[in-house]
Amino acid sequence: MTTLVQHINWVGFRTLVAREVTRFLSVYRQTVFPGVISSALYIIIFGFTLQQRISSINDVPYTIYIIPGLIMMNVITNAYNNTASSLLQMKLLGQLQDMLITPLSNLELAFSFIIGGATRGFINGVMVLLLGMAITGMPLEHPFYVLLFLLMVSWSFSSVGLIIGIMAESWDNIATMVNFFITPLIFLGGVFYSINMLPGFWRTLSMANPIYYVINGLRYSVLGGGAADSSIGISLFAAAVMTILFTAAGTYLFHRGYRIRQ
Amino acid sequence: MSAAIEVRNLTKSYDDVPALRGIDLTINPGEFYGLLGPNGAGKTTTIGIITGLVKLQSGNVSVFGKDIVRDFRYTRSKIGVSPQDFTSDWFFSIEKLLYFQAGYYGITQKEAAPTIERLLEQFGLTAKRDSKIRQLSGGMKRRFQIAKSLVNDPDILILDEPTAGVDVELRRMLWNYLRELHSKGKTILLTTHYIEEAEQLCEKVSIIDEGKIVIEGTPAELIRSLGKGGVEVQVSGWEDAMEDRLSNMTFAYEPSEDGGRVIFTVDNPEKALTGIVGALSSNGCSIHEVKVTKSSLEDVFIELTGKTIGE
Repeated sequence: MTTLVQHINWVGFRTLVAREVTRFLSVYRQTVFPGVISSALYIIIFGFTLQQRISSINDVPYTIYIIPGLIMMNVITNAYNNTASSLLQMKLLGQLQDMLITPLSNLELAFSFIIGGATRGFINGVMVLLLGMAITGMPLEHPFYVLLFLLMVSWSFSSVGLIIGIMAESWDNIATMVNFFITPLIFLGGVFYSINMLPGFWRTLSMANPIYYVINGLRYSVLGGGAADSSIGISLFAAAVMTILFTAAGTYLFHRGYRIRQ
Repeated sequence: MSAAIEVRNLTKSYDDVPALRGIDLTINPGEFYGLLGPNGAGKTTTIGIITGLVKLQSGNVSVFGKDIVRDFRYTRSKIGVSPQDFTSDWFFSIEKLLYFQAGYYGITQKEAAPTIERLLEQFGLTAKRDSKIRQLSGGMKRRFQIAKSLVNDPDILILDEPTAGVDVELRRMLWNYLRELHSKGKTILLTTHYIEEAEQLCEKVSIIDEGKIVIEGTPAELIRSLGKGGVEVQVSGWEDAMEDRLSNMTFAYEPSEDGGRVIFTVDNPEKALTGIVGALSSNGCSIHEVKVTKSSLEDVFIELTGKTIGE
């Protein structure tokens, strides 16, 4: 292990992580604010208006009930978009070759990109969390679990971004993944409703959606026991499986140099 | 002492289309080496494999005796690369990009600062340090590209078409700069379309065509061994009988119709000159004018590949 640590190009790794983080922070109007603004709109419009029809779900006021889902929505889309678009941009602008010729290993490159995207996802998650607490007086029941979910989910979807970024040849490819897979799965994962409100078949189908578990895991962590549809154990397990699976797939492709080194 | 770059039996195919068919190269430390070839000959692929941009399929490449796959951290830290195509960046200033590039090589900002200051100065980019790449002119982009390849103070500098699309003034400036680096002991590997560039700068050149090295040598050697030089002599007193008298001469020659001019085809015209003049005058010809024609590396190139280098 010592030798492995010694063999890592730490300065290079730190530099690339810093570049990735600075990159999205330099355009915070595109990368940090929109999620916060749209979440505020969801809370105000959906929450406060629908609350008159659906006063509460699982004994939680509707406005507050939707916030953990909104947090996850932001974490997932931001983490994914950062890594996928950064990687595609680097390929299209020829920046990637500047890195490929340096003593950074493929794995160091892959993890730097993942950390960059995960940071953006995490920051967005925390911002929406704070926004929710500020607007609605939402509690924070299990801060440690909150941290764990935010970290695991931002990391997993940053890894998905890495996979798609490797494969993508155009911006269209990246948007397709969001429009046809990620956004539907988030909405069907119960951001705005409890799956107990669905008819039997749809409820069962929802349980095959991994995003359902992480939304409910965060709902448990933020709002406490009764709010969530799934148990915290299963939710943590789902988040851990996604983290391991997507990281393994992304780093494996990168390690092999798939579509990165000719 | 190990070679700076040693390439053995390198082959590479893209989707079963062979790009390299067994390349062998030895570039010694401190050598200024040129790789010439028409487009698609395999120059960029060869460089790509040496630098890690392209995956090695079969064969061996070592840099200062270390394998480029097993010891990639060592070999890549020894090399600076200036690719043919410009890179771009939407977010960062060129100064920041130089610091990033140094960082990837494991060089901290503090360690990199003096080198980066010097490079910005040397390449006339100090005033533009806060600009983004897209705000630079074509010539500045090229200067930036080369400055970037030097941030890690590499022992080996690899330049893929460094003077493509630059004006004459900048080309001269870059040539002078490369000569200076070479005089400081850097090993330089250059690919180029400009034969003149190779003739002017390189101590050794290889001509590569269809994925194979066709010939290797110093520019002078190549011209000597393959170029057809000539000596053209304006004479009077040439008569048909001269042909018998000159029959023991080793060079081919061709008198003009009226006998006023004789063209000798020789490998090394300068060396053969005295012999030709001597033979003619001792056989009764008076010589009015002597012209030596030499072939260029370009002629050698065309002779070997059947193509001009621009193809």
